[in-house]
Amino acid sequence: MKEKQQILVSLNRHKEFVVTGPFVEMRERQGSSGPEKREPTESDKGKFLHPPEILTIEEVAQKPIDGLDTPKVLNAMADIGPEARLFVYRPEGKVTRHEIFEDPRVCLEIQRGAVIENLREKPKDVSGWRTHDFFIDIKGCLGDECGRCAIVCPENAIHLMGKGKGSFHEIDPLACKGCFICWVECVRTAADCILVDGKTFDPGMRAKHFGE
Amino acid sequence: MATVLAGNGAAAWGFRLSRVQCYPYYPITPSTACSEQISRWVHDGAMEAVTINAESEHSAASQIIAAGKSVRAGTATSSKGLLYMIEVLENAAGGGVPCGLFLGNRATGAPINIWADNSDAYAMRDSGVIQIFAADGQETLDSIIQGYRIAENLRVRLPFAVNLRGFTGTHAYEGVEIPRPEEVNRYLPPFVSLHPLFAPEKPVTYGAMLSAYPYRRHKRNQMAALSNACEITLKAGQEFAEKFGRSYGHFEWIGDKKADLVVALLGESASAGEVATRHLQGKKGIPGVALLKIRLFSPFPAKEIAQALHRAGTKALVVLDEGLHHGGVLPPLAQRLTTAIQLYLGGKGPKVASVIGGLGGSEVRQEHFQLMFNLADNIAEGNPYRPEPYWLDIEEDPIFVERENQVSPKLWRKWGEVWKKQQRKEKFCSPIPPDTNEIRIYSRAGQGAITSAVGFTGAGIQNGYQLLTVPAFGSERRGAIITTDTLLNFHNERRIRSFMRAWDVVILYDDTILYSPEHQVLDGLKEGGALLVNTSHLSVKKIREILNVGQKKVRVLTVPAEAVSERLGLKHINMAMLGALHKVYDKVPFEPAQGYYEKNVPRPREKSLEAIRLGFSETSDREIQRTRKESRLTVSQEFRDWRPEDHSQESWPSALEEVQLG
Repeated sequence: MKEKQQILVSLNRHKEFVVTGPFVEMRERQGSSGPEKREPTESDKGKFLHPPEILTIEEVAQKPIDGLDTPKVLNAMADIGPEARLFVYRPEGKVTRHEIFEDPRVCLEIQRGAVIENLREKPKDVSGWRTHDFFIDIKGCLGDECGRCAIVCPENAIHLMGKGKGSFHEIDPLACKGCFICWVECVRTAADCILVDGKTFDPGMRAKHFGE
Repeated sequence: MATVLAGNGAAAWGFRLSRVQCYPYYPITPSTACSEQISRWVHDGAMEAVTINAESEHSAASQIIAAGKSVRAGTATSSKGLLYMIEVLENAAGGGVPCGLFLGNRATGAPINIWADNSDAYAMRDSGVIQIFAADGQETLDSIIQGYRIAENLRVRLPFAVNLRGFTGTHAYEGVEIPRPEEVNRYLPPFVSLHPLFAPEKPVTYGAMLSAYPYRRHKRNQMAALSNACEITLKAGQEFAEKFGRSYGHFEWIGDKKADLVVALLGESASAGEVATRHLQGKKGIPGVALLKIRLFSPFPAKEIAQALHRAGTKALVVLDEGLHHGGVLPPLAQRLTTAIQLYLGGKGPKVASVIGGLGGSEVRQEHFQLMFNLADNIAEGNPYRPEPYWLDIEEDPIFVERENQVSPKLWRKWGEVWKKQQRKEKFCSPIPPDTNEIRIYSRAGQGAITSAVGFTGAGIQNGYQLLTVPAFGSERRGAIITTDTLLNFHNERRIRSFMRAWDVVILYDDTILYSPEHQVLDGLKEGGALLVNTSHLSVKKIREILNVGQKKVRVLTVPAEAVSERLGLKHINMAMLGALHKVYDKVPFEPAQGYYEKNVPRPREKSLEAIRLGFSETSDREIQRTRKESRLTVSQEFRDWRPEDHSQESWPSALEEVQLG
């Protein structure tokens, strides 16, 4: 007897997931022509602003800047001292503006304006926040075809490992605060994918956790 | 070549020349006209910017911060609007967002008051914004351009606010030099954001939540940047002087280099102080006097001011504050100056007395400055003085007491001993001879008096004189009697912005004003001055009778402006009155002025020009025997039908009856 097939709800626009009993099969979504690659157009260029660079004397010395008289700049910076900074603005690769100034900050580890550069954030150990341990079972994970848990994770704790077939997601145990969002949002309803304290999906646990 | 601009217009030009890219606003008196002008330019395509009609000042402030992270942003506000912005403005300062504000300073109430004082600016002084006080339109325009230069400096990166006193600053029309855009572009480079939003190469979070450890360090950095603004302001002012020839610093020292007596203040009221200082300078028995007009209020250039006072050998400093201290020891400016003197000069500094004045649109006049210098002289002589502020223009609590029973007995018990030792000295209070020519127009709101006075100002400025027109603004509605004053200064080497209230010409736009019991139109008219009345049925003799001129040397002239306008099919009489003004007052010659009018009169141009010419030719002081037909424009008829100043409460029951009849 042929088992009942079920198509999972997924955000993936190009692939769909068919569950047959314990097996999941991945196939092209109908009417999809695969991910399209778009070259950035002219109109895209104006939409984004280019951040200027602010360099210390060491950074300038290590990496000379095209279009600037580096020795002269270095001399001027040396006159100011270790607080000297070079402001360089090169929106299209060419230096359109530069200025040497003294960093007004007293506490150098804090950015002006409480600005945090999102990609430079240092990882912190927040494992102490957790009351349960979360773990993705690579057997159940759909890898780079799904990625929903990585999208919804508020802490950026879930990373894709590998590429294509055989890829899987992994939870960074230092970054996971144990919020259950991935577990709730998992397209596989966490069936055999995300394990909480080593246990698979369990209506009892869900009811206990959400008060249902 | 100077252009006639009101203070608000000058501020708008400041933003335009600074190439502001985003201008969200919520209008509030008296700074509305600045926003209106900018949104008009943006609509016409003269200015490439985004304007946003915000739903409140709070939103407008939030929007300049949001925009200021990526582009150059600015807005204008006043009074309560500014108080509503302050909550957000701290984020601009904390976030290091260099955006700009123009503030038409106004009282903050309650009671509601739309006129000028510095309460709003004082309320924002702890929000971390750079505060610059301008004294006139020109300074406002220049300070906004410099403000962006200071705010965007890499050592500063903070918001700034340029303050101008409401109405006497924001609504005063005068000649303003508008710098050439190319030159401003060279002075003020394009905006570059340090941490732009929408930069995918480097995504950032602004204003993240910080706990105590990084928070206190962040605030330390913010304060370091704000104190840098002191030095940068001086540099920006010097560079501005090199490019544009007008120099600006932390403060302006007007008067003697060695000055025993100094009066310090912020902003526009300095114009009256300047006249008083120049009058007292070099008078017999009066030591050196100077006016300290402070431009940079936040960050306060404490050391520089203390040094200046020390160099001048100042013995007594009287500080005028146009705002209150609300529980503080002294009002804000006096407090900052006292601290500066205490810190940098210790016991060797001058003695400081505080005076509160100019509240809610109160004028700070030349006589007040004479009194303040007198007070400073008494203090310098070692007489006792009050440790709490003196007040201007309050009869129950004057600076000097002539008679004991004139003052509040409560205060006499407290300060009687001090008052007895404070004497008013005649040498300080001698009347100031008028040095300027002044014209006052009485008209009904809606008759176009401001338009004609501004036209006259423009023509005068084009002919190389310095003119200033200050219309009275307030809670008047259409049809109420208002005044519009114009000042002419023939000493071009220095600007005079302060009225002596001695009129060379008084003009009545409506002959019904002659009957108004509240307006004594001959008051303040100089000997030999002229009175011009727009009338088509009153003879010169009759007018003299009504006003009881008697043997006084007053020229009375009439012009049938309504008839002229009616003949030409114009709705307003102001153009005919403008022509008539030239006939009465010939120091601004009519022929050269015509060239200005040809280019600038309101539409319909030909008719307006014709009205000016006819107004000029039909003005006369001769007795005309023939009885003129009474001629009235619809607008004037409406004014005539409803003259509120004649009405008393009794006239209301008829309106009530109508209501009852349904």
